[in-house]
Amino acid sequence: MTGSRRLPLLLLPAGLFVLAIYAWPTLLLLRNAFNEVGPTGAMVEAWSLKTATDTFADGFTLELTLNSLQLSLSATAIALALSYPLSLFLFRTDSRFRGLLAVIAILPMLISGVVRVFGWLAILGDRGLVNTMLQSLGLISAPIKLVFNWTGVTIGLAESIMPYMVLALLAGFGQLDRTLEEASRSLGASPVRTFWRVTLPLSLPAIVLAAGLGFVLSMSAYITPKLLGGGRVFVLATEIFEQATTNTNWPVAAVLAIYTLGLLLFLLVLSNLLARSLRR
Amino acid sequence: MPTRRLILQTGLATIAMPAVLRAQSLSGQITLMSYTGIFQDNYTKAVIEPFLAANPGVKVNYAPGGTSAQMVGSVRAQKADPQIDVAIMDVTTSSIGNIEGLFEKLTPAEFPVLDELAPEARAAGGEFGPAVTFDHLVLVYDTQNLKPPLTKLADLWRPDLKGQIALSAPPNIQGLALTAMVEKMEGGDHRKSIDAAMKRLKELAPSVNTFEPNPDGYSLILNGVVKVATGWNARSQLYGDQSNGRIGTLLPPEGSVFQINTINLTAGSKNRVAAAAFVKHALSQPAQKAFTERMFYAPTNAKAQVDPKAVARTAAAPESRASMIPVDWNDILKVRDQWNNRWRREVISAAR
Repeated sequence: MTGSRRLPLLLLPAGLFVLAIYAWPTLLLLRNAFNEVGPTGAMVEAWSLKTATDTFADGFTLELTLNSLQLSLSATAIALALSYPLSLFLFRTDSRFRGLLAVIAILPMLISGVVRVFGWLAILGDRGLVNTMLQSLGLISAPIKLVFNWTGVTIGLAESIMPYMVLALLAGFGQLDRTLEEASRSLGASPVRTFWRVTLPLSLPAIVLAAGLGFVLSMSAYITPKLLGGGRVFVLATEIFEQATTNTNWPVAAVLAIYTLGLLLFLLVLSNLLARSLRR
Repeated sequence: MPTRRLILQTGLATIAMPAVLRAQSLSGQITLMSYTGIFQDNYTKAVIEPFLAANPGVKVNYAPGGTSAQMVGSVRAQKADPQIDVAIMDVTTSSIGNIEGLFEKLTPAEFPVLDELAPEARAAGGEFGPAVTFDHLVLVYDTQNLKPPLTKLADLWRPDLKGQIALSAPPNIQGLALTAMVEKMEGGDHRKSIDAAMKRLKELAPSVNTFEPNPDGYSLILNGVVKVATGWNARSQLYGDQSNGRIGTLLPPEGSVFQINTINLTAGSKNRVAAAAFVKHALSQPAQKAFTERMFYAPTNAKAQVDPKAVARTAAAPESRASMIPVDWNDILKVRDQWNNRWRREVISAAR
């Protein structure tokens, strides 16, 4: 056996690991999707498509999908608008603190999601930092509702996906050739024009990659919508949890989980195809 | 030659032998699954520790199970190889476990203590695990910062409470119970329709700060996030004591709804003898008395001699019983999804 033939063996440990902790539970999930729940709430073992057809016939599933897409789109757009200039700065800076600054940018990844959400509650709550500041400046007379609604969830989600997007952007900026920007400047283009005509188009594959990652992470986020939504924000992830752990309706939870998985895979493939076509 | 004393000693030993053997056979460990937090702390002190003292050979592992639905989910997932021996959970979910064959039927022949229970406690579990605690839905409020204090359910619609209310919406059973209570307040009957409740709750929606209090309504009041929340009586009473009276508990004069926890013996328990002994102990008069006096859950053992002061703070108090709306949780389970959808579309959407 040649060395290159043996190469796939390196995938064996990870492959077995994934098989054990991912593939098997996914198959069990798939099995559950064919079961039914009777009027008493008890689960009935079956091989039926009734749960799936009932779930998709319910208009609420479409509403959940649209809510998830809308929320992910808003959070990704905000996170991109904030992380793009930040990543460009980190990529370009010659500062000796560059490493430290990069670590600070991705530091939120090291903090538990629950802790971060409770931090947001302290900042955005009726008696939180933002409202107290605005009230003390006399800009508002009563607190603005910034949590337990869509606004709070969007802000929290955007913050939670930012570090991942910064990393994806930094990885994707490899194609950003500084000499091309210098050529643009030397030919008389203004810095703004250089950015729009050279820098931005060259960084588009990185943007698509980062946005794709941020979007997928937002679609599957559970903690932020659950804790910052105040029971008003219904998305696919919260509904799966609700069905599984409050309604004890595992078949519906399984159908929704498989549906979400399919949706995420589709979006990932789409974003990869787009990123690849932009690189050409 | 055997003396009279020796004969007497031998006779006594023979009589006592079955009891000694029974006590000796109680060994090993069992796992009890139930609620975490203050329930676990108080149940351990009032019920588990006396059981351990009486049965030194047994170890009781307390497995915090999250919500009742999560508990029945855990038992369901372990059906082939049960790790939980006894589970205490809400009757709406234990009934699912009973139908699915997750729990054992209990007979008075093996569990004579069943005959000491209140009829409604036996009825709650049918042939399966009976009620082990009774509780009811209350309104919880901030006694320091809410002036005038809350006196009735209809006060929730007071204009000064705008943004100051935390409600647990369905599918949480607090939300289901509240629906029945508001329907009754409006002169209706939840068994026929909840239209009147939906209309009133829609009007209340803009006043609601959160429909999903995390970690719970009591904490949100203590942290100053809201002034009023829905809650369970036993926990509210305890939090009231722990907060030096800041948490106030109101049994709405318009009526309330019982919440029932049942105690369930898992089918296929690996240490059935000890598990059954624990169930008997948990339903016994001393355990019921101790837990009621410690945490204000009403006892289900009708013969438990509970301090009247403690009883007055439970669902067993005459005024509480008189205020209860008859709710059959098995019927509510059948309409839960329908109520849940109406809350989402008619109530919560009005609060966005």
